Amino acid sequence: MKRHTFWNDLRNYRVLLLMLAPAVLFYILFAYVPMAGIVIAFKRYDYAGGIFGSAWNGLDNFRFFFESGDAWRVTRNTALYNIAFIVVNNALQIFAAIMLFEVGGKWFRKITQSALFLPYFISWVVVGAIAYNLLNYDIGTVNAVLRGLGLEAIDIYNTPAYWPYILVLVSAWKGLGYGTVMYLAAITSIDTEMYEAAEIDGANIFQRIRKVTIPNLYPTIIILVLLAVGNIFRGDFGMFYNMIGNNGLLFSATDVIDTFVFRSLITSNDIGMSAAAGVFQSVLGFATIMTVNYAVRKYDKDRALF
Amino acid sequence: MRKNNRWMMLALILTLAMILGACGSNNTGNTSANAPAQATDPAGDAGSGNADTGDATAAPGGVDTSKEVKLKMIFVGPKPVDYDLVFAEINKKLKEKINATLEGEFLDWSDWAQKYPLKLAADEDFDLIYSANWAGYNDQALKGGFLELTDELLSAYAPETMKAMSDVSWDQAKVNGKLYMVPQNRGESVEKLILYREDLRKKYNLPEINSPEAYANYLKTIAENEKGIAPFTPETGDWKYHNLDRVLLKQQNEWNMFDLDLPFAFKLTDEKGQVFNVYETQEFKDLLVYYKDLADNNAWSKNVLNSKNDHQADFKAGKTASITHNNGTLGALMALMRQENSPYEVALADINQGKKKSVAISTQNGTSIHATSKNIERSLMLIDLMQNDKELHDLMMYGVSGVHYEPVGDDKYKALDKNPNYTGFSNWNFNSPLNRDNEAFPQEASDLAKGWEANVYHYKLETFVFDNSKVKTEIANVGNVMLRYAIPLEYGVIDDIDKGLADLNKQLGAAGLDKIQAELQSQIDAFLANQ
Repeated sequence: MKRHTFWNDLRNYRVLLLMLAPAVLFYILFAYVPMAGIVIAFKRYDYAGGIFGSAWNGLDNFRFFFESGDAWRVTRNTALYNIAFIVVNNALQIFAAIMLFEVGGKWFRKITQSALFLPYFISWVVVGAIAYNLLNYDIGTVNAVLRGLGLEAIDIYNTPAYWPYILVLVSAWKGLGYGTVMYLAAITSIDTEMYEAAEIDGANIFQRIRKVTIPNLYPTIIILVLLAVGNIFRGDFGMFYNMIGNNGLLFSATDVIDTFVFRSLITSNDIGMSAAAGVFQSVLGFATIMTVNYAVRKYDKDRALF
Repeated sequence: MRKNNRWMMLALILTLAMILGACGSNNTGNTSANAPAQATDPAGDAGSGNADTGDATAAPGGVDTSKEVKLKMIFVGPKPVDYDLVFAEINKKLKEKINATLEGEFLDWSDWAQKYPLKLAADEDFDLIYSANWAGYNDQALKGGFLELTDELLSAYAPETMKAMSDVSWDQAKVNGKLYMVPQNRGESVEKLILYREDLRKKYNLPEINSPEAYANYLKTIAENEKGIAPFTPETGDWKYHNLDRVLLKQQNEWNMFDLDLPFAFKLTDEKGQVFNVYETQEFKDLLVYYKDLADNNAWSKNVLNSKNDHQADFKAGKTASITHNNGTLGALMALMRQENSPYEVALADINQGKKKSVAISTQNGTSIHATSKNIERSLMLIDLMQNDKELHDLMMYGVSGVHYEPVGDDKYKALDKNPNYTGFSNWNFNSPLNRDNEAFPQEASDLAKGWEANVYHYKLETFVFDNSKVKTEIANVGNVMLRYAIPLEYGVIDDIDKGLADLNKQLGAAGLDKIQAELQSQIDAFLANQ
């Protein structure tokens, strides 16, 4: 028997390791090396000193966020929006993937898949403009239709209550295609023998979906959700900023950490203060993912991320 | 399987460690190799600078320019279409005069606000940068982004500018007593005017627009009768005041504000420079009633806070019936519309005639030298030439003669068809007495500007600059409150004004308004005591 030595392994798995290398390199360069920059959050940044030479100022940079009186509100908003996005988006994506898998011929599937994927490539700036043209009070399509039907126009942009729904909807619409493709790939890789066996046992299509497809999707679902949970305290800045902009009236319902910090610091450009907010988000995200992963481990050891 | 996995992990970790190690040592290698080079360079420069200063004072103009240098300058605004053509001409002259060439880098209007501070924070390699009070001049200077310009440097390398510039202009550009920019050398009014549709006013037989009331009447009439035209469209951006506040709050009440990101003002005539919270004044409350009435009568779009329409483009296209901006911008828009035979008759309105006007402080436009520039002498010489050398000034400001403009006499020019190919970016920092005016610039706009000059009021605090470094936290939070509570209130989308105003002031208190006010007042008192 061949002995497991480091060099043997290196040789045996060289193709796999090579394939892994770009991703590892990417994370080292763009995630691990920059991590040293975390010190900025504790410094009074000046250009002459740069990242490491500037003077320390303790926790001063964190004051702005926690003394604003909005810290709790925006943190809560961020988490709630992300939870809603994760639940709604994943549910819809799984649903769409199963539908696509079960229904239709090759062409139908390909065309539908592309159509679902399209919104993913539209930038948030454009989505924001489309939304404004659909929803605005004076000339928006939605209100034009309502008026045409003899109903009263609704002032969407001045009513915070509508926005959680609109944002969840837009996020689902935009992310649908991407997630669907991922789940579709997972479904396609399920062993077809299981379906054949189920069919022989007389299972109908719904039973097949419930007993074969969905249980086989669990690992994928758990991994995707776990990965998403790590970012639960990061608001999708592009989305919130382009949909809401500087409309203060909607902030109570739509402000997330990222937009709040951007707005507060865009004029003062204080790198230390914005870094402090980023550190806050990262620490929360880290705590969340550790907790969730721990919970998953407790429930089923094999399905945890680590 | 299990065992295999473990070995795989080990292999992975080891590779990781190796790569990390390599990265780390590479990094240190780089920095240690670079550091001395960087350290010696400025030292070398300073050395040669000193030597040159000695030379220059001994023999003016005898600066050593034997070594050719490439200068890089950062402008805001889009890169002009004919950049290559014009800058080739500029470089020909520059090469002749100071043995240098200039390369421009342009930060587009759409994202300059994000990129500008990054250029400085990342310490990119450039020599000159457009700077302005509205582009965070004080802040960037305090953070150490710009080189301090001493009298010795200026008199050695920018003697013409020293001669031409007034002391007030220099003083206004000082931050904590130190100078970091060569400001523009031409007064400019910052007061805002209203541009409206004269044909519509005539159509409805409205009286002349010369007061806030007459203006409100005009807006309401348009709202009622002209479907499809927005009576007023504000400028988009991260503004923390209503777009008309500069006219209806500041000019109307003869106040001035230090910083449009803060809710503080003082009366122009107040010798003591007592600052107060704008939102707690009766004047502001009255204005809210005025705005609310306009909003309820559809004087602007209900969703104005989310609109991203360009107000000038909308006005030009006849989609909006009035906008506000400064005299120069509106005059240029009028000139353009007339040149293009626009079907709309347009006119300017000054709705608070006779009120005291303040003139732009010199830092409205200026040029700064990057703190780590390696070509300080040549950079200053370039600024000197651009402001005071007729040929280069004309090239930089108006493009190539016969292509972009045609000179008319010594102080006017005629825009040619290609003029739009060389405009729209910040070359205003080189404004100087050599400027030419557009021949087509509307007479009424020039007249208004002249009339204002008589009303320009000079006040003691003109050169005061607020050092906000001690109250940054509070400023960030106050700015946020202004956007969230004041802006919706001013645009009339909050129904209950009194409650809205009370909320606003309560939130401002919580955000630390008093602390900023105390700091601001103590700096003002110290400033006035020193005069």
